[in-house]
Amino acid sequence: MAGILLSHTEKVYITHGVKNEYRSDGRSNIDYRPMELETDVVSHASGSARLRLANTDILVGVKTEIDVPKPDKPGLGKIEFFVDCSANATPEFEGRGGEQLANSISNIMLRAYQSAQAFNLKQLCIFEGKQCWKLYIDILVTLCRIGEKCVVDPTAEEESCSLVSLIVGVTGNPKYYNDYEDEEELPAFEAKCSVISMHGPGSVSPQNLRDAINQGIIAAVCLDEALGKTLFRERRDTEQFKRHSYGFLK
Amino acid sequence: MPLDYKRFNGPEDSVSYKRFTADYLKSYDELHSELIDETGHRKDGRAMDEARPMYVRGNFVSQAKGSSYIEMRGTKVVCSVFDPREIVHQNEFSTVGLLFCEVKFAPFACKRQRQSHVPDSEEKALSVALRKAVGPTVCCQLFANFQIDIFVYIIESDGSCLAAAITAAGLALANAAVPMFDVVTASSVAIIGDKIFIDPTEDEEHLAMISPDTNTNHGVITMARLNGLMQIADFRQIGSLDIECILKVTDILEQECQKVFPKIQKTLVGYVKNGIMEQKRLSEEGKAREAKLKDKMLEWRSSIVNNSV
Repeated sequence: MAGILLSHTEKVYITHGVKNEYRSDGRSNIDYRPMELETDVVSHASGSARLRLANTDILVGVKTEIDVPKPDKPGLGKIEFFVDCSANATPEFEGRGGEQLANSISNIMLRAYQSAQAFNLKQLCIFEGKQCWKLYIDILVTLCRIGEKCVVDPTAEEESCSLVSLIVGVTGNPKYYNDYEDEEELPAFEAKCSVISMHGPGSVSPQNLRDAINQGIIAAVCLDEALGKTLFRERRDTEQFKRHSYGFLK
Repeated sequence: MPLDYKRFNGPEDSVSYKRFTADYLKSYDELHSELIDETGHRKDGRAMDEARPMYVRGNFVSQAKGSSYIEMRGTKVVCSVFDPREIVHQNEFSTVGLLFCEVKFAPFACKRQRQSHVPDSEEKALSVALRKAVGPTVCCQLFANFQIDIFVYIIESDGSCLAAAITAAGLALANAAVPMFDVVTASSVAIIGDKIFIDPTEDEEHLAMISPDTNTNHGVITMARLNGLMQIADFRQIGSLDIECILKVTDILEQECQKVFPKIQKTLVGYVKNGIMEQKRLSEEGKAREAKLKDKMLEWRSSIVNNSV
């Protein structure tokens, strides 16, 4: 990204706008930009997904291998994250430039999936103490940057005005990820926070932090629902006919 | 764990002997019941909302510009801060200064496993967290194009390591006379079900990270606070917690951070006072020496004059 240069007036414009709940592209403070999600883009990986959000493009691949479980956790599988910010995204990521961002993203992912309520590693166990599945999750950031804050899903201009950003990870609603055949007794679901992490060179007042966490969770839950419904629909569609694959050409 | 090829490593598939002791086979419920006894006190006799007593000291490492040592019963942390130096590996001029933070565990620090000499992902994550917590207080614009090194060494770890490291780093930076906006203190909390453990020990933290089979709250939250400005510098949560719990814990953590603040203040003021008294004493000594030398000089001159006469 050839550096976002904003004049002082532009920064004031953006911050005042956010205070009054409107942004330069017409969204409210908790609206996401339209997102495109496509699964199964990489045929050699066990699973893959591509997410496009305005100018940000991320490719995630999941590979599975059979491995020996850790000696102190014989009944659990393993999951490993690797994030690579490629120089395709922005020239700043060339060489080891993107390493800091990559490290912080993989740290957050690791913490987000630490709890069994986010992702149960027991599912990955094959034979307790002897064999388990190991999932390698590789994340490739191909275009620009990612962020989430009090203004949900900021544009690059908004992000360059901000001093602090907060990342909130929320556990997914199991309703969409399992096959519930009939209208069974679904357990009452309450979204739980899996990871909260702050970024940026500034500090925040306690009230702002509380508001930000609240807003983040609301937005994350909406996003999760939309995502779940889309995946559900996709699974239903692929069962019926061969779907048209878009890939990267679009 | 990454191997350090410059050192002799033990056989790769060696496992801690503790795996084969009776302690290891305890179930989650047994471990949980061990943490709190019938009177509602924890294993080390504290109440649920009681933090461990803290010993704080500055000027600990003589070779460093500023340093500190913090001890909270089993958690012992040393921090050293060095003079600003040119930013390493960078050719272009940067208009702000940089903070380089490194957190390292001693190999014998953790009771569960031996730490390797090569920093592993947990230590790297702690270094990033420390940088985020301490970054807002330091006036980086006053040392443009320079970096200040902060090294934290955890000698013994018994829970709340990140909180201790952040507090130690804040104190060491102040001890090194690095220009800062405020004093930063940190504290952490472990949540298991509906019980909140303030300033958790390693056992409590370990259990809080394991998820029980039921869908209950569990996790660890660490918060760093700028006490004069009353702002939150860093907030880190791991585990699985619902929103009311997080908001309640935010209040608790703010108060805990506030409680640590007077100790740090007192330590710093003590060192400033000592510094002033030391200066006074040195300058008086200097004057006394000067006076003696002057007398000697006059004596010598007068003896020469006498001899030549």
